[in-house]
Amino acid sequence: MRFLALSTLQTTLLALLTAGTVIALYLLKLRHRRILISSSLLWRRVLEDRQSHSLIEKLRRIISIIIAVTIALLIAVSVSRPEVEALTGKNERIVIVIDTSPTMETLSSDGKTRWEHAVAQAESLLASGGPTTEFRISDTSGRIASSFTTDRNEVRQALANMRPVAAEPQFPKVDVNESLTYFISDGVSIPQVSKSVKRISVFEKAGNVGITAFEIRTRPSIPPSYEAYLEVQNFGGEPAETEIAISGPGRQRVNKSIKLAAEESLQEIFDLTTFEGGPIRATIQSRGDALKSDDIAFAYLPIKRRTRTMLVTKGNNYLQTLLKLDSFVDFSVVDPANFKEADVDAYIFDRFAPATAPSRPALIIGAPDAPWLRTAQGVVNKPQITMWSETHPVMKFVSVHDMSIERASRIDARDLTVIAASNQIPLIVASERPKWVMLTFDLNSTDFPLHVGFPVFIDNVLAWFSRDQLALHGAPGTIEVAMSNAQIRSIDDKIIPSQPQMNKTVFEALEPGLFTATQGDGRLRIAVNLANRNFSDVNRSAFRNDSVAFSEKHFLRRELWFYMLFAAVVLIAAEWFTYHKRITL
Amino acid sequence: MSSNLALFDDEFLKKLEYLNIISKRLFAGQFRAERRTRRRGTGLEFADYRQYVSGDDFRHLDWKAYLRLNRLIMKLFEEEEDLPIYFFVDCSQSMNYGNPSKLNYAKRVAAALCYIGLANLDRVNVIAYAEKIRGELQPQRGKGRIFKVFRFLTDVTSGGETNALESLKTYCTATRRRGLAVVISDFFDQGGFEPALDILRHFRHDIFVVHVASHEEIDPNLKGELLLVDSESQQSREITITPSLLTAYHSEYNRFCEQLEAYCWKYQLGYVRTATDFPFEELILKVFRQGRFLK
Repeated sequence: MRFLALSTLQTTLLALLTAGTVIALYLLKLRHRRILISSSLLWRRVLEDRQSHSLIEKLRRIISIIIAVTIALLIAVSVSRPEVEALTGKNERIVIVIDTSPTMETLSSDGKTRWEHAVAQAESLLASGGPTTEFRISDTSGRIASSFTTDRNEVRQALANMRPVAAEPQFPKVDVNESLTYFISDGVSIPQVSKSVKRISVFEKAGNVGITAFEIRTRPSIPPSYEAYLEVQNFGGEPAETEIAISGPGRQRVNKSIKLAAEESLQEIFDLTTFEGGPIRATIQSRGDALKSDDIAFAYLPIKRRTRTMLVTKGNNYLQTLLKLDSFVDFSVVDPANFKEADVDAYIFDRFAPATAPSRPALIIGAPDAPWLRTAQGVVNKPQITMWSETHPVMKFVSVHDMSIERASRIDARDLTVIAASNQIPLIVASERPKWVMLTFDLNSTDFPLHVGFPVFIDNVLAWFSRDQLALHGAPGTIEVAMSNAQIRSIDDKIIPSQPQMNKTVFEALEPGLFTATQGDGRLRIAVNLANRNFSDVNRSAFRNDSVAFSEKHFLRRELWFYMLFAAVVLIAAEWFTYHKRITL
Repeated sequence: MSSNLALFDDEFLKKLEYLNIISKRLFAGQFRAERRTRRRGTGLEFADYRQYVSGDDFRHLDWKAYLRLNRLIMKLFEEEEDLPIYFFVDCSQSMNYGNPSKLNYAKRVAAALCYIGLANLDRVNVIAYAEKIRGELQPQRGKGRIFKVFRFLTDVTSGGETNALESLKTYCTATRRRGLAVVISDFFDQGGFEPALDILRHFRHDIFVVHVASHEEIDPNLKGELLLVDSESQQSREITITPSLLTAYHSEYNRFCEQLEAYCWKYQLGYVRTATDFPFEELILKVFRQGRFLK
């Protein structure tokens, strides 16, 4: 026997003290009520008769003391939370980690998903162990984690709230030295765990054809046109007939039937010239497909519209030629001396800036002096590009690593987005509100206009200013949007709960979908797709047949102290009854 | 006591006057009265004839027989004398128990019976006893003496342990005449009731037993841890009252009553048992008559 709340010595002392106190109280003379009777003649006869014949009469006092001491000891010892391994099992801490990665949605041959098998295994684990066993349950998505408790219902409640999510799984932090850890998984998404973690596999081989990549991209050769890139792979062991469908917001639809051999992948480009702008959905269907979440992917096709652009320059061949060739642009050239605001979508100021900020977005080349711009604080010669943002929309498909700059102005870039910089010296900066992009160098002092990425950069800038953007890509899980206090809506126009975080907005996308973030006039689309080989390859399990023997069930389902208190209550009731019946003292 | 005796209102006393104490035996009286005796005397009832001897009262000569037979023959008549009645009232401390107390009830019974006896010109003796004779009222005759009886009974107080054997033996060994002995007691005597009644039987008294009990004795309302104190000996005893113990007490009490009743039945003694909460008038006017103690 062990004691969980007190040491053995403390428990012994407590028991001795309690028993001693009860016996001492019993030995104290009970004051009897004095009753005068006419004669003790008859009472004496009765008592002599009873005392001489009844053994229980002689033992009544001893029985009463024994019952009282037993009640007191039961209560006192229950305080120390006794544990008898044979009755209640060993006191241990068990952590159940359930894999909630998307592959757990894979169907097994019995029609149940791997997740359902995992829940059943978790239930079996909970049913094992003794009443003193403390359980904690946690998932790999980081969404749900209970604390250690002996209350099975609390753990079951946490288990009921879990479900597979299309997010990157991560094994939770568990102190494997302090507790026994079970990991219930198919072993696909998290192949490696500590050796001290007992693995329970719910893996079963299954067929699956999944979309591993889907995106819409511009066709620079034929502007303004877009194409869809789709990558499909058969992860099953058998050839699979697969139907591919790309559908747009109108009646546009592209269907294709393919046959994929085992492990074969298909990369296909679909022309979307005939598609109207809006959400694009790619779906695949194949017989015996065990995982549905990778059979769908989303993208956004921008609505085609030419950008009315005013180039304010004293003359710049690079820009004029480029804009003339850009079929996305309707442009006009104005001398800085004649500049005044016009009905355009964007301005390009070449080594010039008006005294007040224009009402439309502007690309400013060079670092001209203007009250609404950052004043040049000096000149930097031959700055080397050491950092540039690949994620900013204006830098899409643009590489500036080999760009050389003769001279650039030094500006204070506080509160601005630095898109490219040389060490701590900003070279390309952007402002969200008002919307403008500034190159701190003159096009005549750089070879940037000679780079293949220059036209793409200008097109990206104009597109960022006023055109519909292609959707940003994201994987299921926590999505960050570079907009403060944005409202997030799903493809079916439902508002998704979101939280502001610094200058960003964060929301949870647990399933693939197309989300729209809106903040004032700004609008950003995010295509959240599973499109992950690691998730679609449902047969790539690292522990296929792992299983463990659960500890046996025990006769007692609660801790001993519960039964001891129950016995004490029963004895108190019995004592109360027998006392009032004058059976005991 | 006086207030209790005042309960004998005139109507009740009138009813008592119609009653008469029955004695199963014939005892010799001391004075002329209304009770038949074995003696021949000057009563009205003819009894027998006998030869005249010198000195006889010739008023009782049967002159008609003399004329027929020429012999002097005396007519004999039954003598009517008084009956000695002894009321032994237990005034031990145990009788001062219950509400109303047994002693109070016993005094009223004794007073009522005394009145009946006095009304019938019987010779009434009242003896209060406990561990010894504690008081004795000299023989009284005639209704006019009832107040003397009342006063005596009023003065009787409870106290002492019961020792009926010693008390009755002391009284009976004095030169007393045989008569009707009425013992009014709870019979809680450590020496037992048999020796005392045996003494009365030995002196050939006609005995009538009035067993007085209180409701608290018949059905004690006791519970819990108690210290029982004997009112006579002051001996105490700790006891835990249980239902089974109460049942045992009831059995013991019933056995005690049955033993007393069986003794009386065995020796042809009159026996009446009454509780102090039993209506007094009903006891006197009905129960005693049914018990053939009064007529």
